[in-house]
Amino acid sequence: MRKRKKSDKKKSPIAVTVIAVAIVVLFLIRLVQVFEPLIRNQIFLNGITGPLFTGWKLTALGGVFLSSAAYLVLSLAGIVVLIGFLRLRRWSWVLLMAWTGVSLIISLVDYFYSRPNYAVMSSNVIIAFALNITEVQRIFGIRSDDGTSL
Amino acid sequence: MAPASDRPTVPLTASDLELLRKFEPVVSYTKGEQFFPIDVEHYINECSLWEHHRDGRDELLVNQGELTLEKLIESRPAEFGSIRYLRFIEPLSLAESAQVLADQLLLRRKLGDYFHAGIGRLARGGILPRLLDGLFSLSFLLRGKVSAATAAAAELDFNAMFAEDRKYTYYGRVTRQNGWTILQYWFFFCFNSWRSGFYGVNDHESDWEMVTVYLYEQDGQLIPEWVAYASHDFKGDDLRRRWDDHEELKIMEQSHPVIFSGAGSHASYFRRGEYQAEVNLPLPGWFSGLVHTWNKLWTETLGQPAINSFHIPFVDFARGDGLRIGPGESQTWSPVLMDESTAWASQYRGLWGLFARDPISGENAPAGPMYNRDGTPRASWYDPLGFAGLDKVPPPPKMLQMLADNCEKVSRRQAELEKLVPEKAGELQARGARLQGMEGNPHLARQFGALEKEINTLSAEVRNMRREVWENLALFQGLTRRLDRMKAGAQNDPRTHIRHLAEPDDSTQVLRFDRAAETWAAVSLSMLLFAIAALIFFAPRYIWAGLGIILILFVVAESFLRGAFVQTVGRITLILAMITTLILFFHFWKWIIVVVLVAMGISLMIQRLRELTG
Repeated sequence: MRKRKKSDKKKSPIAVTVIAVAIVVLFLIRLVQVFEPLIRNQIFLNGITGPLFTGWKLTALGGVFLSSAAYLVLSLAGIVVLIGFLRLRRWSWVLLMAWTGVSLIISLVDYFYSRPNYAVMSSNVIIAFALNITEVQRIFGIRSDDGTSL
Repeated sequence: MAPASDRPTVPLTASDLELLRKFEPVVSYTKGEQFFPIDVEHYINECSLWEHHRDGRDELLVNQGELTLEKLIESRPAEFGSIRYLRFIEPLSLAESAQVLADQLLLRRKLGDYFHAGIGRLARGGILPRLLDGLFSLSFLLRGKVSAATAAAAELDFNAMFAEDRKYTYYGRVTRQNGWTILQYWFFFCFNSWRSGFYGVNDHESDWEMVTVYLYEQDGQLIPEWVAYASHDFKGDDLRRRWDDHEELKIMEQSHPVIFSGAGSHASYFRRGEYQAEVNLPLPGWFSGLVHTWNKLWTETLGQPAINSFHIPFVDFARGDGLRIGPGESQTWSPVLMDESTAWASQYRGLWGLFARDPISGENAPAGPMYNRDGTPRASWYDPLGFAGLDKVPPPPKMLQMLADNCEKVSRRQAELEKLVPEKAGELQARGARLQGMEGNPHLARQFGALEKEINTLSAEVRNMRREVWENLALFQGLTRRLDRMKAGAQNDPRTHIRHLAEPDDSTQVLRFDRAAETWAAVSLSMLLFAIAALIFFAPRYIWAGLGIILILFVVAESFLRGAFVQTVGRITLILAMITTLILFFHFWKWIIVVVLVAMGISLMIQRLRELTG
């Protein structure tokens, strides 16, 4: 049998794949969160039919726009992070951890104000714990080989 | 073994005073230090004597100006639970307090000896320790404390007293135990101004500090081997350094150890620098248990570095950039001999300054060199060897003999075992053979049982002896190796006995955006409180969510200034993920259990099937 040539490429652990899948899932959920309220309010059919602000306060429509915009930023950031993450860049680990943190805060606030989204919560939890795996941290240069933080 | 050639020696015939003078230390204080060692007589003459009774009453026994060392030790019966104490500064009225504080400012200006903290202690801890520090400061409203005016008056009185008789005093004691000659140098200060003068933990009237030099005898000479300094947070072995440990112990003029004294606290350090002292908060048992479980999960399961947030960082500044007292310096010592027959030391068991009624004792004055605050004997006095962990260490010349004795003892036992083991092993085999002979004979069941028991006992005995042979072999090798090294004059590492080494903060390690970090440390706690107040006022509906987000923002800002952004973001996200996991488990526990069981089942099935199919 011919000997298989060893690949020089760094082998990524399964957790990296799991994280990448979770980011994609989150991206899709966030996209739904961006478009669902806009469709519900028939923005695409009728355009903006009312004011977004009354004085310093947001109107209901303004609130819809704001939350859609926030979710859009989160989902787009997710894609940027995903690209860096698949290329095993250190900055992408930091950004993804921060992104997951922000996403978890929003999910928790949503949960405590009776708007839970368990799929988002689960995906975030999976990403957070997977990012904390020593092997993953080593690959991204967050932790040294002897286990100390860099 | 020849005496170490680089060590000073003193003839065995030297008097106690000569011995003390030969090894008296050089003390290096921090610029801005307010109090220096003085003689107790001057101090006593300035004090009044009081008795604190169990019912909370304070009784004046001797007026200020009338107290002498003789009057201090006069026999005065006292009830159980009462506390006798001296008072250096009499209670001050509001006007007097304002006056002494103003006079203190004038005195400082006149002396021109200012202290600058530099990177403050607050910038050295995180936001939680800072929050706890705020609570610690507030706790003084409930606890007894020494007022700022008392500290100011003490500084003024000390300077007035010192101007009359400018003499730096130490009390020297020479004692001999287990082959060691022990020199104790006791320093008396009329005030500890660590809190009021140097942002430390406490203030109290009077302060006793002590350092010890341990000598051994060889060829009619006394040679120094160890030096121990009393210090915060350290005890036993950690207090002492070997004479030849030049990295740790500085020696002036060949025989005078150098002490770097903590500003205000007067704690003694071997190296100059700024030491972080930590006050651990007294937590209730159940809470400590929770913290312990959390830490275990955090470090062992999640692989995160351990965090101890329930402490308050304080800095002890032992910079050594101020006055220096000792041989070869501009200021020298006036030694006074002291021992068990020194009446003021042995017969006065009370406190040497104000009893501030502080339940955790930090602000109450200490007792004298021979006693603890509760009047019980002080360990450093009656057991000076045990104090520095030297009770188990023989002097070097004795060490050689003891090692040789140990080697001989082990060899003897080894020879004994070499004879015993084959004997017992043979006996065991004989009994085993007898046991086999009994097999298949039901009428011998009773004897069989008894013999089986005997065999088990004998087998254990033989096993233990064989283990002892191997252990002794290793022990013997260790002992002979040490003996050979000692005979060759080789010394082992001078720090092997130290478990926790007192190390000054790394002066090269600066915070990112130094000034910004310090400013942030000073204002962050107040800003946090303002933000919470604004949240309550403007958005009460979102109080919990807002509080959480504000705290996280503060922690992240802090971590950025400390250069720990990556670790902090990781930790915060992990904590949020754990909270979310709990929520998910609360809602979907049935599903989670089902999924876990199915996954375990599939995994086991795959393993077994793989085993089956080879």
